[in-house]
Amino acid sequence: MNARYPVIIIGAGPAGLAAARALFDAGVKNVLLLEREAEAGGVPRHCRHPTFGIQTFYRPMNGDRWAARIRQRIEHHYEIRTNTTVVSLNPGGVLEISSDRGLETLYAERIIIATGVRETPRHARLVSGLRPQGVLTAGALQQFIYLRKLKPGNCPVIVGSELVSFSAIWTLRNAGIRAVALIDENLRPTAFKLSTLYARLMGVEVHLGAHITRINGTERVESIAFRDAAGQERVMACDSLIFTGRFTGEYTLIRTSHLLHEADSGRPIFDQYGCCSDPAYYAVGNMTHPADMGDQCYQEGLRIGRFVAESLRAEASTSFQVPVILHEVFKIAAPNVVRCDTGSQASLTLNVRVNRYHHGEIRVMDRQKILYRKRHRCLPERRILLRGIDISALTADSQLTITI
Amino acid sequence: MAPLNENVDVVVIGGGVVGCALFRRFTLMGARTLLLEKGGDILSGASKANSAILHTGFDAPTGSLELQCMQAGYREYLAVHQQMNLPLLKTGAMVVAWDQAQLEALPGIVQQAHDNGVSDVALISTQELYQREPNLAAGALGGVVIPGEYVIDPWSAPLAYVTQAVMHGGAWQFNCEVREVQAEENGWLLTTSKGRVRTRLVINCAGNHGDLIDGMWRTPEYEIRPRKGQFLVYDKACATQINAIILPVPTPTTKGVLLCRTIFGNVILGPTAEEQQDRNRADVDETVMRELIEKGRRMLPTLTNYPVTATYAGLRPATEKKEYRIYDYPENNWISVGGIRSTGLTAALGIAAHVETLYRNRFTQRFPLHPPAELRWPQMPMLSDYQPRDYTCPGNGGIVCHCELVTRRELEAAFDSAVPPECIGGLRRRTRVMMGRCNGFFCSNHVADIIGDRLDNTLVVGKVK
Ligand SMILES: Cc1cc2nc3c(=O)[nH]c(=O)nc-3n(C[C@H](O)[C@H](O)[C@H](O)COP(=O)(O)OP(=O)(O)OC[C@H]3O[C@@H](n4cnc5c(N)ncnc54)[C@H](O)[C@@H]3O)c2cc1C
Ligand SMILES: Cc1cc2nc3c(=O)[nH]c(=O)nc-3n(C[C@H](O)[C@H](O)[C@H](O)COP(=O)(O)OP(=O)(O)OC[C@H]3O[C@@H](n4cnc5c(N)ncnc54)[C@H](O)[C@@H]3O)c2cc1C
Repeated sequence: MNARYPVIIIGAGPAGLAAARALFDAGVKNVLLLEREAEAGGVPRHCRHPTFGIQTFYRPMNGDRWAARIRQRIEHHYEIRTNTTVVSLNPGGVLEISSDRGLETLYAERIIIATGVRETPRHARLVSGLRPQGVLTAGALQQFIYLRKLKPGNCPVIVGSELVSFSAIWTLRNAGIRAVALIDENLRPTAFKLSTLYARLMGVEVHLGAHITRINGTERVESIAFRDAAGQERVMACDSLIFTGRFTGEYTLIRTSHLLHEADSGRPIFDQYGCCSDPAYYAVGNMTHPADMGDQCYQEGLRIGRFVAESLRAEASTSFQVPVILHEVFKIAAPNVVRCDTGSQASLTLNVRVNRYHHGEIRVMDRQKILYRKRHRCLPERRILLRGIDISALTADSQLTITI
Repeated sequence: MAPLNENVDVVVIGGGVVGCALFRRFTLMGARTLLLEKGGDILSGASKANSAILHTGFDAPTGSLELQCMQAGYREYLAVHQQMNLPLLKTGAMVVAWDQAQLEALPGIVQQAHDNGVSDVALISTQELYQREPNLAAGALGGVVIPGEYVIDPWSAPLAYVTQAVMHGGAWQFNCEVREVQAEENGWLLTTSKGRVRTRLVINCAGNHGDLIDGMWRTPEYEIRPRKGQFLVYDKACATQINAIILPVPTPTTKGVLLCRTIFGNVILGPTAEEQQDRNRADVDETVMRELIEKGRRMLPTLTNYPVTATYAGLRPATEKKEYRIYDYPENNWISVGGIRSTGLTAALGIAAHVETLYRNRFTQRFPLHPPAELRWPQMPMLSDYQPRDYTCPGNGGIVCHCELVTRRELEAAFDSAVPPECIGGLRRRTRVMMGRCNGFFCSNHVADIIGDRLDNTLVVGKVK
């Protein structure tokens, strides 16, 4: 079965499903979605809190319900091959996939990479201590509890204070488990300030400015040692440890492929149309900007799907690319290169993340020329959109710099 | 308690790589054998966490028993690995000098290698060094290449030894700690956490507990002083950054921190060498890991572009002396194989051959030997990233662990194997499940489901009501 598809989408999460929907609406036939899980829907399948759906269906929905709805918009139109993992990307739109059938090669005019995000786990954070069972991430917690009805622990400690850290408290509560504590290195919660009040109301101790110095336990987690904000060494009994947030894209395929990518982060080089260094490949969703909300990824998927449909129809116009350069306050920008086509779209939106809290002006410059300036309140891990950047006057030797 | 087993010729205490090799050797000699391991699988001690290098012995003390065992072990591994479907990654190694003093030490390293019979070891020019390793940091002054240093699978190799023994009638018990030993007329009565067993000969391979086991009946001739080694495992994408194993010039106290590709396609950085009292605790430490990263970056600047997949630490069964501590007591029906400090993975098969010689010289007539008429060879699951894996073959049941591309069929096969694991650590080492960059984000729930109640300590504590 070495068919050639017009478009193959890798990952049937919100972004991939939305791209498929846009392709369908644009009249593209015979698109294939590949999904390594048993069911399409992505991360929202195992999110059971009502933070989804507002932009898509104009009402709040639990993640699993929302995932089912957006899946239904595709299922009857395109094939979604589940339990199928893409294992390599090759030049010109050639994929190697693995499933129960073994290895196969697929070909497509365009390939959309929508592989999503995960959280940074214990080891990559270089946490000290032993290696017992019971150390997991919030995503794993959700899957245990909602997909399997299994309890990974009875008295867990949550590490981190992003939105997902607080949703972990909620997930645990739904399984009848009370978290012992929530601890984070930062002195202010990464989510909004009031969030810690919610934790306390749920009976969860909050330790900010606290650093884990040891995980104890040989078979299963028995306790953690940490240094609190006052510098005091403390030990807290617990039977599991849940690392939350610090999202990182699923760049695995990209890092080992021919596609140009940022050496340190692994994110592909892609323009505002999602197009990567090999024009057969497009990137979309949280993989390109960890981690925006599900609805936002869905909207973006629709947009990129339309561009891909257009790219199948239109002759490639003459164009040039302008790199996006970041001041050190900024961690990432999506896109990270800008394509300028003769006589097309002249307004650009950049999605950026900061490394640290920043309150003040952000400017986008083409060398000395200011293209955008506006005050922003920026928190780490939160998306910041710089809208309406005028790129009509960019030239082949322009350089976009995002600065403060 | 009921007897564990009747009519045993040889009990091997400890299922580290050394115990596994001895268990195989004595079974194939024709003895009725029993392997006792206190962990839930083989390799619960030092042998679970090493650098996985098959050493040539180029830098071992000339004329030592260690060198003899390493070279015999090396030869036997090369001779048998294909029959058992065990991988070999021919990386070669390179000692790199970063300053003048180190540069001056290089000819001595070559000389010692030649004295040890490793004749292909040679000095190379700086130019050649950078040709071979273009990503290495600037400023290297010279190097020595050791073409015969290879990388192997540190877990499936000892498992193959055990499996072959079991195929020829060897018995084993996991979660079975030896607690007391009592001399009897013609052997020993051992009391374990699972019951008692009588045996004619005991071979003590208890690694970091070896002196304590000997100490159950005599003043031990060596004292274990564990030396911890911490490692960082880098993401597979990093493997493009080096070709050979990159070694520093050793100091009198340590071989130093190396960079090495693993058979699984990653890169490891380590180990440290830290003396400690505790025989069981192998903590990783954030400060030390950050220092390691800095050391690694100075050798290979691009290293910091790659995320860390895993961190681990191993405890070397070091003693107050550098050499192997192998003692035989023919009067007492006892052999103690201790202090196999930092080369045991390589030397294991050679140590087993050496112990066979000790036995044949001084212990014959203990029990009759009826070697099997024909040897059978186990086919081990192939986990090397450099060989075709199960996910490329039909009927694999689909990939369960996405980072390490572990299939459902591979997981089931581990439980259905001749010697199934009895703990999650064992399952991980035998399949690589949950060993990847996401540390189980995507797959741990599938894995918990597949494990079900096949293991006592699982990933979960119960069901949601
Ligand atoms: C733990 C966690 C909690 C979150 N909670 C919320 C929340 O409450 N509200 C919210 O709005 N957002 C939340 N998010 C953000 C969430 O990522 C987005 O809502 C949304 O799922 C992103 O969509 P996506 O399509 O880009 O990625 P994903 O939903 O991650 O989908 C990617 C899909 O690609 C598949 N895939 C990856 N690699 C391959 C491959 N090689 N071959 C085949 N298939 C592949 C994956 O299996 C997955 O199904 C959360 C994220 C995480 C990690
Ligand atoms: C950091 C590091 C790097 C290394 N790198 C390499 C390398 O690259 N190449 C190489 O060749 N070697 C290397 N080694 C050395 C090698 O790992 C060791 O020499 C080898 O593992 C020692 O094996 P062992 O069987 O003697 O001990 P162990 O593996 O410790 O085995 C002893 C076993 O006995 C069991 N046991 C203990 N007490 C009892 C009891 N009372 N009852 C029952 N069972 C008991 C333990 O659970 C354990 O499983 C390295 C070692 C370390 C730590």
